[in-house]
Parts: sequence; C-alpha cells; structure tokens
Amino acid sequence: VFHRSTNTFSRVSIFGALFFIAGATYGLALINRSAYVTEAGVAREQPIQFSHRHHAGELGIDCRYCHTTVERTASAGMPATQTCMNCHAQIWAESPMLEPVRASYRTDTSIRWARVHDLPDYVYFNHSIHVQKGIGCATCHGRVDRMNLTWQEASLQMEWCLDCHRAPERYVRPRAEVFNMAWEPPSNQLEVGRELVHEYKIQSLTDCYTCHR
Amino acid sequence: MSDWSGGEVGVNRREFLRLMSASLALAGAGACTRQPPEAIVPYARAPEEGIVPGEPLFFATAMPLAGGALGLLVESHMGRPTKVEGNPQHPQSLGATDVYAQASVLGLYDPDRSQVITSAGEIRPWSAFLETLRAAMEAQRATGGAGLRFLTEPISSPTAIQQMRALLAEYPGARWHQYEPLARDGAAAGLRAAVGAEVAPH
Repeated sequence: VFHRSTNTFSRVSIFGALFFIAGATYGLALINRSAYVTEAGVAREQPIQFSHRHHAGELGIDCRYCHTTVERTASAGMPATQTCMNCHAQIWAESPMLEPVRASYRTDTSIRWARVHDLPDYVYFNHSIHVQKGIGCATCHGRVDRMNLTWQEASLQMEWCLDCHRAPERYVRPRAEVFNMAWEPPSNQLEVGRELVHEYKIQSLTDCYTCHR
Repeated sequence: MSDWSGGEVGVNRREFLRLMSASLALAGAGACTRQPPEAIVPYARAPEEGIVPGEPLFFATAMPLAGGALGLLVESHMGRPTKVEGNPQHPQSLGATDVYAQASVLGLYDPDRSQVITSAGEIRPWSAFLETLRAAMEAQRATGGAGLRFLTEPISSPTAIQQMRALLAEYPGARWHQYEPLARDGAAAGLRAAVGAEVAPH
C-alpha cells in the first residue's frame, strides 16, 4: 500500500521527534528564564525619576531611612511623601522634576510608584526574617546603589529562592554587613557561612508550606 | 448553530471529541499571561498610629447587645476590622466572645448595609439629613415635644443615657421607648416574680 520510502520517513520522524521534543523543552525553559518572562534587569518607568544611585549610593542614605519596617515586618515599607519632603522642602525645593512630590504633599494624594518586585500573591515572603538571619539587601536586590531607575536583579522564580534556601551558607553574611551594599563575600565564604548558619540558627527551609501557606 | 441542533442529544461523539481535544490543547495557554503591573501607593503623610502594611492593630472596644456590653479586642488590617475576639483584660469577657460578637464583623461588610443616606430612594448628603432633622425638632419645640417619640435599643452606656436625659429635659413632652428584639423577657419576668422588682439579669 505504502511506497518503500515511507519506511525511511517513519524512522526519521520517530527518531527526529525525540530531538524535536528535547529542543522544544529546552527552548521553553530558556524563554521561561529569560528577562522577557521574569522582567529581571528591566528598569521600570516611575512617575518620578527617583534614583537609588544618587540617594543610596552617592549620598549614602541608609536603606532603612525610607524602607523603615524592613527589620520588623514582612513588608520593607515604602516611604510616605513626607519622608521625601523632609529633605526636599529644603534642597531642590523648586526643582520641576520634583513637582509630583510636592503636588502629592500639597494635595495629600499618594504617589503611584510602579512596583518593581512583584511576587505572586500565592507566595508568602517576609523581609524581617531574612534581614535578621544575615541576608544582605544586595544579595537579592543587587547593587541598588548603582541603579538609576530601579530594576529587579533576580528572577524571583522559585528555583532562585530554593538556590539559597537549600544552601544558605553560600549567601549568608554577618548581621552588621546586611545593609552594606559594597560587601563582598570573603574567599572562604563557605567556611564562614557555615559558622554563621550555626550561629544564627538558620534552618534550610525547603518545605512547600514555608512560602506557600 | 446548526452543528449543535443536529441529533437528539445535540453533539455527537466525534463532535464532542473534536471540541474536547481543542479545548484541552488550549487549556494550558490560559496560564500564559504576564502578571499585571502593580502600583505601590504609600501614604502622602503617614499616620502616627504606626500602621504598617501586613501588620494588624488591635483595638479594645465594647459591643452593646441586649442592654449589656461585652469587652472585645478587634483585629484591624489597614483600618479594616477583620476579626473580633474577647478582651482578656475585660472582667466580663476574659477573652471569650459569643456568636453575636463573632458575627458582628460580617455586618460591617454586608452588601445590604446602607452606604449612603437616602430619602425616598434618592441619595442625599449628611447635611440634608441634619437640615431636615433640625427643622422637625424646631417644630416640636413649641409644644415641648408633645408629638416626639424616641425609639432606641436598650442603652447601658452612661454617656448615651446622659445625652438622652439632656434631650428629654429639653423636650419634656417627648417619650423615650426602648425595644430589644432579642430581649431576655423570660429571665426578667422570673426575676420580677422572685425579687418583686424590675431588675436586669446578668
């Protein structure tokens, strides 16, 4: 019924399908980790051109001056317009760039910042416990002190979370260095890390319910 | 839709399989959405109570019911009460509540709860209500409140009682009625028979 060449066709297509499926899976995995999906490394447009590089880097303002609740609560906290006006009532008080800030303060309406780090709602995340256990801001957020418009440094995908949760000794740092943006891991990080893990009683929490409550 | 109106059951087997395979093949595509962009909307001026997103505040309060009051501790998230529990420091509650207190938080979010002031179905501002009320009260003043009746639930709040007394002193002809749909009439009648006086059961 079939031509002889059909045999070859069927062999090639069965054999080729394996490669095709493998290639497609690999391609999908690449796309899934790409910046197109994770939006990592993509600077967000903001209503005000706020620069962390200028404020945290050049001026050296501590993270906690604005993100006040990062040591106490799940949310790091976003500064009220009032916090901006503490300084900007005096310096750059006439700058047209800061008009939205002054307008917000005058009219008592909030500034609508574009969220940069947006975890899915089915994930529980708490800043305070990570800060308490010696995970530095820069470990997850990157060198924010070098960003003009802020972007998301990490993919925020589950494999990224688990990478640290499986082996926290690779990333943990002394508590005193948590807010130090320029801290670099020492050459014997694993050794020091294991000591800190023991000292800070860090558990390797990889159960589903740790984050998916 | 001629495809659907065909046989007695509407869809034959082949049609069903075709539709189901198509919808199965497309079922995964529904998850291929990006997270919608979100805004962070901080305060313009932060309140002094120290409201922190995600951290509840607890308020001690009391819930009047059937002439009594129960000491409560209400959990509040970003200004919205979410859970009512007894106040452990209140001598009557000692941390316990009843079904009415537990359910009271639901009444706050009841879609049937009136959101605005209406008059004959029309939405009116609060000032219109005050104006109407003031006019009605002024009209009663001439007769000393002879045509005036107040209907309230049983009040045990000393402040509210004092305010009602002041109001009645201003309108000597007015009458004050209290009605409680869930009154413990039986207990009151029993006490009246036993003690021979009007006393409130506790």
